[in-house]
Amino acid sequence: MSTGVKNQLRVCALSVKYNIMREMLNKVTFLTNTCFMMLNNAAFIIQWLILFRLKGDIGGYTMREVMLLWGIACCSFGLSHLLFAGVFSLPELIIGGRLDPFLVQPKSVLLGVMTSSTRISAMGDLAYGVLVMCVFCFSVKRFLLFLLFTVTGAAIITAFALLMGSLCFWFVRGDVFGNYMVNAMVSFFTYPDGIFNGTARFLLYLVIPVGMAVWMPVHVMMEFDAGALFSVVGFAAGLSAVATAAFYRGLRRYASGNLMEARV
Amino acid sequence: MEVINAQDLSKTFRVKRKEKGMRGSFQAIFHPQTQMIRAVDQVSFSVEEGEMLAFIGPNGAGKSTTIKMLTGILYPDGGKVEVLGLDPTRKRKQLAYQIGTVFGQKEQLWVHLTPYDNFRFFGAVYDLTDSETERRIGELSEIFDLADFINTPVRNLSLGQRIRCEIVASLIHRPRVLFLDEPTIGLDPVVKESIRSLIRQMNREFNTTIFLTSHDVGDIEKLCRRIIIVNSGQIVLDDSMEHLKKHYMGRETLEDIIMEIYQSEGKVAMDS
Amino acid sequence: MRKYIVIYRSVLMENLQYAASVAMGFVSYFIIIYIFLKLWNSMYAEPGSLIAGYGREQMIWYVMITEMIWFGARSGAVTRQATADIRGGNIAYQMNKPYHYALYILARYTGEWSVRLPMYFVLAVAMGLVMVGPLSGFGPFAALAAVVSILLGITINGVFKLCISLFSFWIEDTNPFQWLYDKLILVIGTIFPLEIFPRAMQPFLKLTPIYTVCYGPAKLTVDFTPEKFLEILGAQLLYLAVGLGAMFLVYGKGVKKLYVNGG
Repeated sequence: MSTGVKNQLRVCALSVKYNIMREMLNKVTFLTNTCFMMLNNAAFIIQWLILFRLKGDIGGYTMREVMLLWGIACCSFGLSHLLFAGVFSLPELIIGGRLDPFLVQPKSVLLGVMTSSTRISAMGDLAYGVLVMCVFCFSVKRFLLFLLFTVTGAAIITAFALLMGSLCFWFVRGDVFGNYMVNAMVSFFTYPDGIFNGTARFLLYLVIPVGMAVWMPVHVMMEFDAGALFSVVGFAAGLSAVATAAFYRGLRRYASGNLMEARV
Repeated sequence: MEVINAQDLSKTFRVKRKEKGMRGSFQAIFHPQTQMIRAVDQVSFSVEEGEMLAFIGPNGAGKSTTIKMLTGILYPDGGKVEVLGLDPTRKRKQLAYQIGTVFGQKEQLWVHLTPYDNFRFFGAVYDLTDSETERRIGELSEIFDLADFINTPVRNLSLGQRIRCEIVASLIHRPRVLFLDEPTIGLDPVVKESIRSLIRQMNREFNTTIFLTSHDVGDIEKLCRRIIIVNSGQIVLDDSMEHLKKHYMGRETLEDIIMEIYQSEGKVAMDS
Repeated sequence: MRKYIVIYRSVLMENLQYAASVAMGFVSYFIIIYIFLKLWNSMYAEPGSLIAGYGREQMIWYVMITEMIWFGARSGAVTRQATADIRGGNIAYQMNKPYHYALYILARYTGEWSVRLPMYFVLAVAMGLVMVGPLSGFGPFAALAAVVSILLGITINGVFKLCISLFSFWIEDTNPFQWLYDKLILVIGTIFPLEIFPRAMQPFLKLTPIYTVCYGPAKLTVDFTPEKFLEILGAQLLYLAVGLGAMFLVYGKGVKKLYVNGG
């Protein structure tokens, strides 16, 4: 590893560590938030217990698959919000002209922005995801896959938020649209893919990347398929690359831009 | 040695304009009218190593835009600029290792951490090793008298102590040029004085070049030997403080002189 | 003239902000209903089959009505404002005014939902007609019963949420309790009719606010019978009386505590 990369990682790690320290400053608030987030997620188990009492198979899923889906969704979402919560406030940073401090540092602007904050409840999501995975469908192989898919899922969520946030470089009201898209993605996360068909399914795989973030991983964990696994990894890498390119394209526009309203 | 050199530096902003009334609102939707404003208009100047320069002008004169172009945040759309022999537009990161920036109201410190932890972070940002950072913190804390509060979380510090730390944090990597954008804004006179002495000391100890913008005449008078005044994007005056005062002999204060220059149109002619 | 333009502009901006947040709510509502539409479509494998006595159309309309109440009843007055007034001591000034504080908050709450609910009503009806089709057996009596029970249900919801907020006289943070109430309504109440739960649980669920806040109004909309209407109306009136009684009682005790200990 080159020293440049090593130094960059050191800064990111410190940044994340300091963010988390800030959230843990008030121990009571931190613990209540974490616990409530776990309870919040657990409450939805009731919904699924009732649904599966009515029908044993919903969109090709049984209780086990739904719980795996929740596990992957919570862990990916939690990891993304623990490390890279800054990406979700990118629109405000762009519109408020607050990218400047990141531009005068001799480090990656993108990583600086991404690691600039954390979400307090992210720990609860992460813990709940791991717990659900271990309780409902533990096997060593599945657990390793679970870790991998948590990382790809977090990458997809982060990259999608980055791509949507970068719209603000071009469109003044891009933040509203971007927020809709990111919220829509999260809403679809915890429902079986089998209930959607036709155009909706197509959109949820390609436009709003729910499919590659959570559905495909669940299928691979239930029935191993190397091709599907590689396509998930490839999709995560591809989307990240596209989002990064869009961000830096936009950043050039930000620096050479001549629209005043955003900058004063 | 020349550390900053700007030649015909220009930046134009496009501002949306709306005619008054309902008709204007509709027009703004279908045929948005924009107006070009030359925020910085063919500005040329150079700064020598170790200089303390005041870059002043009324609000909207183009001070911040100029600083942003010198530090690589904004790309100029005309002219040429070099800082420490580097083009900020193309070598932004390389340049960042050698310059420091303090933007008045914008805080860059983590307030829940101590100044010490903050300095450690900036050490990492500028690729210093742990032992280098330690050594540098020791040195800075001694010179600038931080020992009393270096281990107190920033949120518990007084405003003055906080600003001191903000400035010292930007010195961790021994920058050769320091850009200060309104460093004393909103501070009481005592704190202002202590920040000024810090800046003076820094210039003396490390021969750091200081590029300062301020609305505070005291800052300018007590710190800078040279003054550049900009108005409507153009340089109207670039001279030594001494010469300026001699030329405007009879005016009570520097503030009066500056007011007079702001109000006069175009370039100020001064015989040398 | 200038100052009026400034006033006009600031109000316009405020309202645009408001419009944006309404649009945000609409999109969320749309997505949730869309997901449940798909979910129930897959649950009803054969057309014409019944689940717990409900047909597919009835089930989806049921969810649309409960979610409409949920989205329409979102309020800052009975939660944030009441808590802030009590914890921040602002209530001392409010108490001296010639009105009852709790009723003042309820009036504000009513003002909030009477703007929101009609908007969600229009959205719900439009989505229902386009995506599911009209409800069979829905007539003027059902409509009247639905309107009455929806209005009562939403009022009961406000009274209960305000009761929880009033506990701020004694405890620092009532948010966890608000949260528990919301979860009860959202996870158990809005998604399924009570008939879907195991028979043993049903009597207990009938005692919770779910029965009067979501189940009642939605049930009357999709499956109206005069007997059911009287039963639900009775339960709602009883609930409202008990809720209001509790509200006045808690408020009275809270104020007394305030006088004893000072603000």
